[in-house]
Amino acid sequence: MSAILTIANAARLIAARKLSPVELTKTHLDRIRRLDPDLNAFLLVTEDRALADAKAAEARQMSGALRGKLDGIPIAHKDIYNTAGIRTTAHSKLLEHNVPTRDAHTVKKWADAGTVMLGKLSTHEFAFGGPSFDLPWPPARNPWNRDHFTAGSSSGTGAAVAAGLILGGTGSDTGGSIRGPAALCGIAGIKPTYGLSSRTGILPLAFSLDHAGPMAWTAEDCGLLLQGMAGPDAEDPASVDRPIPDFTAELGKGVKGLRIGVVRHFFEQDHRASDATRAGIDAALDFFRKEGAEVRDITLSPAADYHAVGYLIMVTEAFTLHGPWMRERFMDYGELFRDRVSLAATVSGPDMIQATRRRHMLCREMAAATENLDIIVSASQPGEAPRIDSVPKWANMEKPSFTMPFNVTGFPAISICTGFGEGGLPVAMQLAGKPFTEPTLFRAAHAYETAMKWRARRPAMAG
Amino acid sequence: MLVRAGLTLTPDQVRAILPGAEIFRRMIERVNAPLPREAEPALTFDVEQG
Repeated sequence: MSAILTIANAARLIAARKLSPVELTKTHLDRIRRLDPDLNAFLLVTEDRALADAKAAEARQMSGALRGKLDGIPIAHKDIYNTAGIRTTAHSKLLEHNVPTRDAHTVKKWADAGTVMLGKLSTHEFAFGGPSFDLPWPPARNPWNRDHFTAGSSSGTGAAVAAGLILGGTGSDTGGSIRGPAALCGIAGIKPTYGLSSRTGILPLAFSLDHAGPMAWTAEDCGLLLQGMAGPDAEDPASVDRPIPDFTAELGKGVKGLRIGVVRHFFEQDHRASDATRAGIDAALDFFRKEGAEVRDITLSPAADYHAVGYLIMVTEAFTLHGPWMRERFMDYGELFRDRVSLAATVSGPDMIQATRRRHMLCREMAAATENLDIIVSASQPGEAPRIDSVPKWANMEKPSFTMPFNVTGFPAISICTGFGEGGLPVAMQLAGKPFTEPTLFRAAHAYETAMKWRARRPAMAG
Repeated sequence: MLVRAGLTLTPDQVRAILPGAEIFRRMIERVNAPLPREAEPALTFDVEQG
């Protein structure tokens, strides 16, 4: 088996008994052994657990008792997802030897669905603050060019999926931590609607902005993985108890009739994206028009307004959580995390109240602007991945983020690859929608991805 | 403000965050731009409240 599969393809082959989950797992473990020393995507490889999971999946395959499309699929978890009996570090010295006694809600759900867990993946420290070179483990590298950044904080998941070390994995997204690495690593990643997937057992960064979601090579694969993690959880106060749709039910319907709004000022005026990024978005919009979608520009508040509200709330909520440790063990944190979160000390009570008032208004603004739309298009990242050794310390503050607006409002958003820039690295766009419209996002993203021949291109190191 | 928050940092540690503090100050100013008096905070964040 040489070609790297998607989850959808692997599931079909497993169901037809043409692919052995054990062989599939061994292939991925071998890829990890060969490639990960250059990528640092894994903090821990759980080979014994993976082989046990794979053997159990294979037994179900042979007895006609497969549990669904995720049965036998090799995955791994960002190392802020608690795994019972398996070290969970948040990539931090503070939790270097932390071994949870209980699985995170999603870890259990994916295990119950039959996935094969290969290990724990690199992150930015406590999902905020990289790339850092002063932590117990090095940062993940970009498989398209290992001198370049993956973005974060779900950096290991982005690198591992792009390099074909896993078929999918978990991420978390407080200001763009799923969509950023998805964009720079040339894969797909979705931040679902706030409340759709549980955060129980995931080390928090900011209560009201944290989202849990999947990352994979294609939007279709993200849909399959989200199917395995969405649903109510009484232990997560944000969790919503509502019927869970079939996230891949609309795939193949194309985009005819969809109403698409483009927040062009975000990536042309507010924070001008690279030529390749803008060209990729324009080409995608041309594709959507030709396929029968209605496309028009829309205007929201400046991206800087969303960014300021989101960032202030994020560091203040993070300091609420980390303050006790920061007061006692300040220097045990990496420089980027401790210095960025320390800024919360300058936030006053009225500042925080003003941020929540403005957040409420931004939510209402986005809801009104999208009332007659199915999809919002924007950039995902400003351009190709920068060199990993030249990311400024305050980079995530200096210019407004394209991803933060959808953390502030809780609307779902997916990042998908739109091609490659001058440096040969991926560029991307972001498709967002009204709350709980994930099936429509997958529908549009899938229509675009399957029409683009270059989607089959993998990083050279992935073979 | 750092001391009030319980962070007793050395002068070097304080100097390390100053560039970020200046950017963050501009963010706080933006957040504090006038709002209509009737604009209320979201007491609990709910994606469907909009």
